[in-house]
Amino acid sequence: MTDPLDALREPVRPIDPDPRFADELRDRLRRAVLNGGDMTTTETTATQGKISALTPYIVVSDARRALDFYVEAFGATRRGEPIIMADGRVGHAELAIGDAVLMLADEFPELDIVVADRGGAQIRIELSDLDAAVRRAVDRGAELLRPVEDRGYGRGGTIKDPFGQRWLVAEKSPEPPTPQGHAMYFTFQVPDDEAAKAFYGNVLGWQYTPGSVEGAWGIEGNGLQGGLWGGPGRQVGWKLMFAVDNLEAALDRVRSQGGRAGEVEQHPYGRTADCADNQGIEFWLWES
Amino acid sequence: MSEPRVQPDPAFALLSLYETALPEVYGYLLSRCGSRAVAEELTSETFLGAVSACRKAGAPPVSTGWLIGVARHKLVDHWRQREREERGLRLVHEDEAVDPWDEEIDALQAREVLATLGPHHRAALTLRYLDGLRVPDVADVLGRTVHATEALLVRAKAAFRNAYREKGVRDD
Repeated sequence: MTDPLDALREPVRPIDPDPRFADELRDRLRRAVLNGGDMTTTETTATQGKISALTPYIVVSDARRALDFYVEAFGATRRGEPIIMADGRVGHAELAIGDAVLMLADEFPELDIVVADRGGAQIRIELSDLDAAVRRAVDRGAELLRPVEDRGYGRGGTIKDPFGQRWLVAEKSPEPPTPQGHAMYFTFQVPDDEAAKAFYGNVLGWQYTPGSVEGAWGIEGNGLQGGLWGGPGRQVGWKLMFAVDNLEAALDRVRSQGGRAGEVEQHPYGRTADCADNQGIEFWLWES
Repeated sequence: MSEPRVQPDPAFALLSLYETALPEVYGYLLSRCGSRAVAEELTSETFLGAVSACRKAGAPPVSTGWLIGVARHKLVDHWRQREREERGLRLVHEDEAVDPWDEEIDALQAREVLATLGPHHRAALTLRYLDGLRVPDVADVLGRTVHATEALLVRAKAAFRNAYREKGVRDD
């Protein structure tokens, strides 16, 4: 049924506001962001979907409902607003699933963009809650083509969603551990944190959020996991934290090579020890 | 030392997105509320409110689309406030007529008519037709049930139609 009020559809048209207003709000926003606030600390960095070398672009029979389905069944998150065509069909929509992006659109038979009656490409999706996800999908109308089982290369199954797409559902593979010897955290130790913040902020554009102790700051914009730590009495310069498979064995090697091995400390993120090499250069060791 | 594996602060994404997102958010709001002052106020509320919203656990990645969603909620809050202020001044009179209406409407005139409606009608019609949301999504943004939203949309459309026809008579 057509609705005359559909003529009111108003896609977002960018309009530049008064530059004075824009400048004021930028300042207020900057202050609000840099005031820190409640930071979430987690063991692992949250993954965000990003466009990678390969991105599936699927056609579905009802894109609006399909978007809801993928959000509810697969835990997908919406990326931006769908692009709605003048006739109300979804011309383009994006979802983030894990670290990948899924693109989809409604059918456009006039452009030969249609759901395949049978066959068609299958997409493999890894889910951390495989069984519950399959249940949610089936509850929402998906067809179970092959139940979840282990055929020797991990648990998985096949479903066809109510919009025509087949999915090879698989258990999420465990995160590979950080290999021994890789630096995984970078601390920049300086005598005066405020001076360093201003210097690197002005030279490189780094920005900072308050850290967990006095003089410590998270650095945004240097491409590394880590922070800035200011105050007297510490070795100046970058101090790295390296992953090891076995902390005690690694500390033995530090001692036997003429280095200084510190006490083992327990942290929510793993066990660490503060060390120095045989030339006095400090580093941390970390076992997850 | 700051804690290893601290999640990067998503609020920084707001700062880097600001220049591109600002005209989108402002454009969205201005075309729907029609007042520069209100659009500026709601744009400020959108960006400043987004700072804490994007830091919440489970918040979606910061994007222009997400900011438009925040702006939509700010707009609805604004209309809700207006509705509370105006309720005392207006006689409760709402047409329940539902006969099918299929005349073609002029978008420009319709926009003017929309601006004359009460805030709650304007909110419902804006979300449903200007933004193109489905009824359950309109209900979600308005914090009403789907059933109540459907009823509200019927009343809003009746009010719109009456105002539109009256305007047609006056303009002819």
